[in-house]
Order: sequence, then structure tokens, then C-alpha cells
Amino acid sequence: MVYYVFTLVFFCFDYFILAMGLNIQYGETGILNFAYIGFVAIGAYFTGVFSLHSAGNSGQHYILGLGLPFPLNLLLGGLAAMCFAFVVALITLRRLRTDYLAIVLISLSLVLYDFCNNYVSLFNGADGLYNVPEPFAKPFGLTVNSFIPFFACVTAAVSLLMWFVMSRVMRAPLGRTFRAIRDDHVVAAALGKNVFRMQLKSMLIGSFYAGVGGGLLIQFGGSFNPTAWLPGETFVVFAVLIVGGAGNNIGMFVGALLVETLLIHLPAFLPEIPGHPGLIEYFDNAVVGVVLMLVLWFRPQGVVPARLPRTASFGVTERLAVAPLEPAALDPQ
Amino acid sequence: MSETGVLDAIGRTERRAALRCEGITKAFQGVHAVNGATFDVPEGQLTALIGPNGAGKTTVVNILSGAMTCDSGRAFIGETEITNRPSYKIARLGLLRTFQLSRELGELTVLENLLVSPADQAGESLVNVLLRPGLIRRQEREYAERALQLLDVYGLYEQRDSRARELSGGQKKLLEIARAVMASPEILLLDEPMAGVNPALIDLIGEHILDLKRSGVTVLMIEHNLNVVEKICDYVIVLAEGRTLATGRLSDLRENADVVKAYLGEVIDAGAAR
Repeated sequence: MVYYVFTLVFFCFDYFILAMGLNIQYGETGILNFAYIGFVAIGAYFTGVFSLHSAGNSGQHYILGLGLPFPLNLLLGGLAAMCFAFVVALITLRRLRTDYLAIVLISLSLVLYDFCNNYVSLFNGADGLYNVPEPFAKPFGLTVNSFIPFFACVTAAVSLLMWFVMSRVMRAPLGRTFRAIRDDHVVAAALGKNVFRMQLKSMLIGSFYAGVGGGLLIQFGGSFNPTAWLPGETFVVFAVLIVGGAGNNIGMFVGALLVETLLIHLPAFLPEIPGHPGLIEYFDNAVVGVVLMLVLWFRPQGVVPARLPRTASFGVTERLAVAPLEPAALDPQ
Repeated sequence: MSETGVLDAIGRTERRAALRCEGITKAFQGVHAVNGATFDVPEGQLTALIGPNGAGKTTVVNILSGAMTCDSGRAFIGETEITNRPSYKIARLGLLRTFQLSRELGELTVLENLLVSPADQAGESLVNVLLRPGLIRRQEREYAERALQLLDVYGLYEQRDSRARELSGGQKKLLEIARAVMASPEILLLDEPMAGVNPALIDLIGEHILDLKRSGVTVLMIEHNLNVVEKICDYVIVLAEGRTLATGRLSDLRENADVVKAYLGEVIDAGAAR
């Protein structure tokens, strides 16, 4: 029972991180990143190969194999996803927007998937990476069962730290400029904002979150292969975002809890339907689809909608702070 | 320099040009929207850009503000060439604009719309966001105080915490001007700031534009309402078929047969029909 509960806790916090990353890209900046799961995979694979020792006679084929300790490998996995995002952004963001950008990104996701699946010496092809060392298992003497609650708590701590950072970004002028670009990039540019540079920042931040989320996935399960990141998985993260409420980090947590934990992973632990073994697990995507439609129909702003910043949040007292404006105040500075 | 420049019309020594256009052309699939537009906008003055529909006024403003590239010709802010520079770079040189159809940042609050404007905010750097929250807080407070003052002046204070998309059409026009003013412009391009607003608001917007001129901002304004042009504008540039037809004071241009034929006659006829 403890095993089940902490597995659900892990997925809830891990998808909370993934959703925050997608939220800064799509919810805040309006970049329709349909290749998001590709960045998760890059983070997972690189965390794996930074963590694993040299392939040698292990029967696996992969690059690097540096044997780095946690959390250094996780951090580098996140940075690897950022580097990949940098290249993708340079190619796509300068010229493409909205639907066209989405089409190119989903194509990129498919190409990346096929490449990793077939180029075996990169990340062990279709078999993927396995036997990835469990963080802190040896020094803390963790068994297979005690590792799960331990790592679920580590993931929760990492996600709370990342939430703190993301909240600061979203409240800052940086987040406001992202939202301005989402609302109307022509206006943002006319106000002196370098739209490409800002979108690049958003892509990099979001991809770091994707990479770290992916890294935690491979550390938790000890393995990662192409079945874990079918391109359609991107839409599960989008479902978390839309159900939770784009633009609100609390919404990302609620979305992760409702969609990833309760709708996708909980059914795997439910009793079987007599005569139809394994059937219940196949319902998850259908249920997510129905929930998505219901939310878009009845509550398009999500369960926890984005909150508007009030005047007081900018550190000014209302009306009392407003002195009559002298004509000189209109002068250009 | 242009033969039809406003500065020529008013005497070159009087003021220098804040904004210059030299032979700008722009074609869309072979159709010339702008076909050699050449004019100067005198510094610190309020200049109207008028002309019949399809004369290329908005295209010229789009080219000057960097929202669109031109096929040929050159544009300058003072002595700095801005031809085909990206709009964010032109904005950073002090040229701000508004749009023909209001383009508010709809999901942001009215106050946030103004807070987006200042260039190079410390809080737009990720390093500062993570390491210098105190600096960002101080700057945010300063900008918020200035933004609230502007909202007070433009009559939008009560709506400060509302989503900008919830404003009325006239309020959106005011918000756009206030947002541009928040960026401390040296040159302001206003694309039909009074289109679609009620007569009382037209007077108010006119007053605000005059205030801007008094505070030293150079204003180029596309406007069809000749009463407003006559009342508040110092000079007029007439565009027709993408070319500069005439420049000068409106009272003088009323005597110009070409201008009357191309535009004023049309407006007067329309006025008589109403």
C-alpha cells in the first residue's frame, strides 16, 4: 500500500514540474510546444547516461557513462534539455509562430523519437537505458521498497524548490513580458521588447523543467525507453495544464493530481474487471479526453484559474499614492 | 531632402526633422501601397497625416515603426537611419506607436499594460529575478507609481485592476496612448486615435495629444476628422496613391486644387451628404 501511495505521490510532483515547464512556454508565452515530451526524454536520457558508468560489458550501448552522483546528473540532464531547446529555438522561433510552429515542433518530436529508437549507440535504441543507479541507495542503505517513499519525498522537495523559482519568474517583469508576447507579439515588439530573445528565454526555462522532470522519471524507475515518451505523451502534459488552469502554478499541481495521478496512474492499481484483465489500464487516455472536453466546455479557465495581480502587489498603496500628475511628468526621460 | 517636406514649407531653419521619410515604396503582390512617400515630421510639433482610404497612411506608419519592411527608400529618426530595422530597436530609439484597431494586451490588467512599456527593466533579466529581488521590487514600485499617475490622467484609474479586454472601445484607445506615453517616447505615431469614439471622448483625446506636444513629444497622427486636424495639428502631410501630395498648414492646403481634388473635396462632399 505504501508503495502504491508513494508511486502516486512521485508522479503527482513529477508532473507538477513538467506542467510548470510547459506552462511558462505555452500558458505564459504562447509557444505551442508540441515537442515537449522530446525535451523530457532528452533530460531523462542524459540524466541516465551521466549517472550510469561506462557501458563496457553491460549489454547496453550508450554515450558518455560518466557515473556522476545525484543531483549533479539531474542538473546536467536539465541543462542538456536546455541546450537542445536552444538549437530548436534558433531554428524555429525566428520565423514561425502559432500553428506553423506547432506543426514543425510535433514533426521534430517524431524525428527525435525515431532517431533515439533506431540509433542504438546513442541511448540503447528501443531497449532504452536500464539499471540506472538509484540515488542515495547505497549510503542510506535503501531497499527497493524503501527507495520509493524516499525518492517520492526527494521529488516533492525538488518540485517545491522549482515552484518557488517559477513563482518568482512569473511574478517578475519577465513573466509579464512573456504574457504580453502571448497576448500580442506585435504590440510587445512595438513597445521595445525583443520577442525572439524573450521567447528563447521562455523555451530555455521550460525545457530545463522538462529535463529535470524527465531526469527524475529515470531515477525513480531506474530505466527509460521509447515507450515512455511516445509523442502523444505531450498531450497528457497539455491536459494537466488545461485541466489545472494555465497561468497558475497551483493549478499545475491540481492538474497533475487530477490527470496524471488520479486518471492515469490510479486505475493501474484498481482491481481488475472480471473477465477483462488489464482492460482498465486502457481506459486512461479515453477518460483524460472526456475530462479535457468537459473542462474546456464548462470551465475553460481550468480548475484553478490564473490570478490577476492587484495594484497592491506592486508595492504601492492605492489612491493615496497617486499625486496629481504635473505636465512635466509626461516629459520623455 | 524632400521637395515636399514640411520643413521646406515652413522654412528649414525653424525646426529640425524628428522623423524623415525619403522615397519609401511598398508593394503588395504588385500593387503599390506606398509609392515614393517623402516627408519630414518637425520636432516637437503635432503633424497630421491625411489622405483618402488606400493612400498608404497606415502602411507608412507600419514601415516607420518597423512592423513592416519597405521595398525601397530610407527612413530616419533625426540623423539615425531606421530603414527596415526591427520594431523593438526602433521603439528603443524613442519612437512609439498606437494601432488603427486597438491592440490592448487583453489578458493583462490595465495597470500591467502600462508596466510592460518601460524598456530594459531589471526584472526582465533571469539573473536579476533570481539574485536581485530587492532591485526589482524598487523598480516595480517606481514604475507602478508612474503608471497609476498616468491612469489617473487618462481616466482609467478605476479600471486599473480589470483585464484590458474588458474596457470599452474609447477606453482602449486611451489605454494605448497611455501605454505608449509610459515608455517615455520622443516620437509618437498615432494611427487614427479618434476613430470610432464618441464626440466627448474625441475632445478629451485631443487634449491629451496636445499635452504630449506641450511636453516636447513629436506627434505624427493619422486622422480623418478634419475639424480635429484643424483644431490641434500644426502641420499636415497629404498622401494620395502612396505619394506625398502636399504638406503645410491645413488652411493653406484648402486652397490647393490637387488636395481638394484628391481628398478634401471627397471629405467635404461626404460631410454635405450627411
